Amino acid sequence: MSTNSTSIAMEAPVEMQIQEIAFDGQETYAPSLSMSENLTKLAQKIDFAKCGPEEVNKEITEIDRNEDEAEQSTAPPLWPWDSVRNKLRNALTEVSVLSDLLTIAKGKKYVVLDPVPQDPPEPKPAMMMVWARKKSFAGAASVLFSGAERLKNSLIEAQKNRSTTADFHIELLRLRQNFRLKKVNNTIIGDLSYYRSSGSKHFHRGTFEVTKSEDEPDKLLSPPCSPNPNSANKLTSALRVTVPGELQGIASIKVYFQKDQDSLCSSNLNTPDTAFSIPEIDWQRKLEVAQNVLFCKEIFNQLAKEAVQLQSPIPHVVVGNQILASIFPGVQLVICLSHMEMSTDGKASLPPPIPRHDQVLEHTLHQLLRELHEKNAHYLLPHPASAPLGPSRKRSCAGPYAMDREEFVEMTESQTMLEQVIQQAQHTQLRDRTLCILDKLATQYKDPLISVHWLWLNSPTYACIKVTIFAQGYDEIYRNLVIIHVHDTYLKCISRDGKVVQLSYESMELKNYILCQICRHQIMAVQYLAKAMGWQCVANSFNLGSGTLVETFGNASSCILVSPVGDRLISIHCDQNSRVQVSVAQTPRKDFFPGQLVKERKWENLGNSFKEVQWEKMIGKNFLGKMELLMTSLTSSWMQ
Amino acid sequence: MAMAQQTVNTAIDSLTAALKSNIIPNQEYFLQGSILDSSVEVLLHRLRGLCDNVDTNLETFHDHEMCFSIRGPNNTQPLQLRVRRSLDHNGMPMQLRYIGQPEIGDKSRPTVLRNSIDIGTSNTVVEFLTELGCRKDFEYSAKGYMFRKGRMKITVFKVFKIDETRKMMSSGGFDALSPLTHSYLVELSVLAPSGQDAIADDMRCFAEQLRPLVQLEKIDYKRLVHGP
Repeated sequence: MSTNSTSIAMEAPVEMQIQEIAFDGQETYAPSLSMSENLTKLAQKIDFAKCGPEEVNKEITEIDRNEDEAEQSTAPPLWPWDSVRNKLRNALTEVSVLSDLLTIAKGKKYVVLDPVPQDPPEPKPAMMMVWARKKSFAGAASVLFSGAERLKNSLIEAQKNRSTTADFHIELLRLRQNFRLKKVNNTIIGDLSYYRSSGSKHFHRGTFEVTKSEDEPDKLLSPPCSPNPNSANKLTSALRVTVPGELQGIASIKVYFQKDQDSLCSSNLNTPDTAFSIPEIDWQRKLEVAQNVLFCKEIFNQLAKEAVQLQSPIPHVVVGNQILASIFPGVQLVICLSHMEMSTDGKASLPPPIPRHDQVLEHTLHQLLRELHEKNAHYLLPHPASAPLGPSRKRSCAGPYAMDREEFVEMTESQTMLEQVIQQAQHTQLRDRTLCILDKLATQYKDPLISVHWLWLNSPTYACIKVTIFAQGYDEIYRNLVIIHVHDTYLKCISRDGKVVQLSYESMELKNYILCQICRHQIMAVQYLAKAMGWQCVANSFNLGSGTLVETFGNASSCILVSPVGDRLISIHCDQNSRVQVSVAQTPRKDFFPGQLVKERKWENLGNSFKEVQWEKMIGKNFLGKMELLMTSLTSSWMQ
Repeated sequence: MAMAQQTVNTAIDSLTAALKSNIIPNQEYFLQGSILDSSVEVLLHRLRGLCDNVDTNLETFHDHEMCFSIRGPNNTQPLQLRVRRSLDHNGMPMQLRYIGQPEIGDKSRPTVLRNSIDIGTSNTVVEFLTELGCRKDFEYSAKGYMFRKGRMKITVFKVFKIDETRKMMSSGGFDALSPLTHSYLVELSVLAPSGQDAIADDMRCFAEQLRPLVQLEKIDYKRLVHGP
C-alpha cells in the first residue's frame, strides 16, 4: 500500500443513551439496541408511502429528465422507443430487485419480514350507535310483544268463559267484603268466630278454607250479584269454601213449653225414612249457615252455664242438648239446641218435629246474646277526656251526685240471659192464661156483658188489660171497670172503687175476682137505676159469701129498695152464678088483723113478708130491664 | 248509733284494704308526640283502623281545663291541681286531678310514669278550691278526638287559648278560640295500679305502629325548661 495514506479506524461511537443520573453522579445507561431492534428503528423511520417506488421513480425520472434534457439539449432523440426502452429497463430493474428480495426473505436467513405495526382503523361512530340502538330496541320490543300475546290470550279465554264461570279474584274480593280472610303460607284461611272481634267471650275455632274450584262434578253456584230475587243466577262459582266438620249442617234453638212429665228426658229414634239431603248452596249462604251454627252453640253454652250456676227453688236441669227450667209448678220451659248434622253419605237426619215452638222466645235469645256482645265490645269513652276509662256514665256520676249505697248496689245487679228468658216465658204463660179465663167468662155470661180491651203499649214482661162489665142498653147508667196489670208471676187488679188486689199466677183466683166484680156490678147497677127512677136503696151488702153451694167462686150480694111513695119494698139477692132472687113486699099490710098481742091498727104499717117474684116469667131483655119494669109497675099507685 | 259507727268503720276498712291491695289505679303511663295540621287526617284514619269500635263514628271532645296551685305554709313547692270539664257533654261531672312528677327513667323504661289521682266532682269544685286558697295559674281549651284500644287511651287534640275579654259573654268565650300552634298534640296513656309495668311494653309496640306519622316518645319537661 501507499504509505502516504493514513489509516483511519472507523468505529461506531460507543455512546449509549443516558437514562438517568443518580444523585451521587452515577450514570445509568439505557441498554443499547440489538441489531434487530436497530433495524426496526431505522425501518420505522422510513415512510414507505412517501418513499414509494413512484417517488423513487419520480426522483429517477426527474434525474433522468434532467439528464435527458441535458442530453436533449445537446443531442436530438436517437430513437422514438428510447423512452419506452428506458421505462421498461427501469421496470425490469425494479422487478428483479423485488424478486431478489423475496427470494432472500424466503430463506429467512438474512432478511425476515416483520409486520409493521399499523394504527388501528378509525371506527365510524354514527353507524355503531345506530346499530346498538336497533339491537336494544329489538330486545325490548320482543319482551313487550310476548307480554301482549299473553294478555290477549287470557282476555280471549275470559271472554269465552264469561257466561259460565265467575272470575276467582272477583269472587275472592266479594268474599273478603263479608268475611275476614288471611293468607297463611299458600292457603287462604277465613274466620267465622265472634271471639274478640265482636265482643264474645266464648272461644270456638271457626276457621274455614277457601280454595279454587277446579272442574268438579258438582258445580257450586256463586251468590247472586243483585238482591233482586227474580234475577236468574247462572254463574258457577270459581271458589270452594270448606267449613269445619262441627259447624256443618243447620242449627237452631227450639223453645217450647211442656207440662210436667214423669220422665226427665226422653230418647228419640231416628228412622232412615226421614232422611233428606241438604241441597248445595252458594258460599255466602253456606258461611252464613255455619256462622249461625256457631252462634246457636254459643247461646246454648251460655244458657247451660247459667242454668248450673243459678239457684232457683226448683233447680234447672241440663240434659244433653236440652235445658229444662221450671216456670210455674207444673209447667216447664224447654230450650233445646237442634243441630241437623250431615252424616257421611251426605244425607241428614231430621230430628222429630217440635210441637208449638215459640219463635218469639227464640228471637229473644238471639237478641240477648247480641246485647251481651254489644256490652262487651262497645265502651263508652270518658268525658272530659282525662277521666278514667271504664266506668259507665251512671257509675261515674255516682260520686258527685251522692248516690246512696242501695242505688249503687241496684246499679251493679244485672239479670243473666236465662233469668230474662224465664221471666219472659212466665209473662207469656200468664198472659195466655188470663186471656183464656177472660174469654171463657165472656162467653159464659150474657147478662152483664164483659168486654176486654188489651192496651197496645206493652213490653216482653208487662201487659195491661181493661175489663168493662156492663148491661146491654144500660151502659150509661152504670159500668164497672177493672184494670189488670199482667206482670211475670203476678197480676195486679185495680177496681173501680180504687181497691188494689195482687193475684198470683193461679188462674182460679182471677176467675173468682171477676165473678165478684160481676155480682157487684149487678147490685150497683140496680141501685143507680133505682136512683134514676126515684126509688131509694135502704140497705145493701156486697159480701154475703157463697153459702152452701158446691162452687166456691164468687160472692153473693144483695140490696133492698123502697119505692118513692114508700109503700113497696123490693129485695134483690144476686148470687155468683148471676142467678137473682127478687122479692117484693108491701106496706101497709093488706092482711092485717088485730089479734090478742097486736091490738092497734098502726101496726099494719109494718110491711108484710116478702113474696118472691117468678123472675123467669118477667118481661125484659136482661136483669136491669126486668128490674125497670118491676119498679115501674110498683111505682104507680093504682096497681096492686 | 253503734250500728252507724260500725258501718263507718267498715267503710274506712274497706278503703284502706283497697289501697293496700293495689287495685286503685293511681299511676299513669304516658307517651306524647305531635303532628302538623296537614297530616292529622292521615293519622286519624290510621287510628280508626287500629283501635276498637270501628263501626261507631269518630268520638270528639271539647274540654276546658284550669290549673290551680296552692303554696304550703313553709313556702315549699306549690301543689298543682287541675280541674277539667267537658263543654259538649254538660251532664258529666267535672274531674279534679292531681298529677305528680313524671319519672322519665332510663332506656329500659319505655314510657313516662307519673302519679295520677282522678276524682269526679260536682260543679262547685272551683269555688271550693278558691275558698281553700288555690289560685288559678292558667287555663286552656282542648278540642280533638279520642280513641281507645284495650286499656290504652289515645287522644289527638289541639290546644286553644281562651280569650279573656270574651269570658263575660254567655258562651264563656268558647266560641272564639285561637289555636296556640299549627299542630295537634297526640297522647297515649294508661291508668293502672302501681307495679304493672308490662303495659308499658304494649304501649311502645302500639307507638311503633304510628311511626313515621307521629313519634310518640318520652318528653322530659325539665330539659325543655332549662333549654339552650
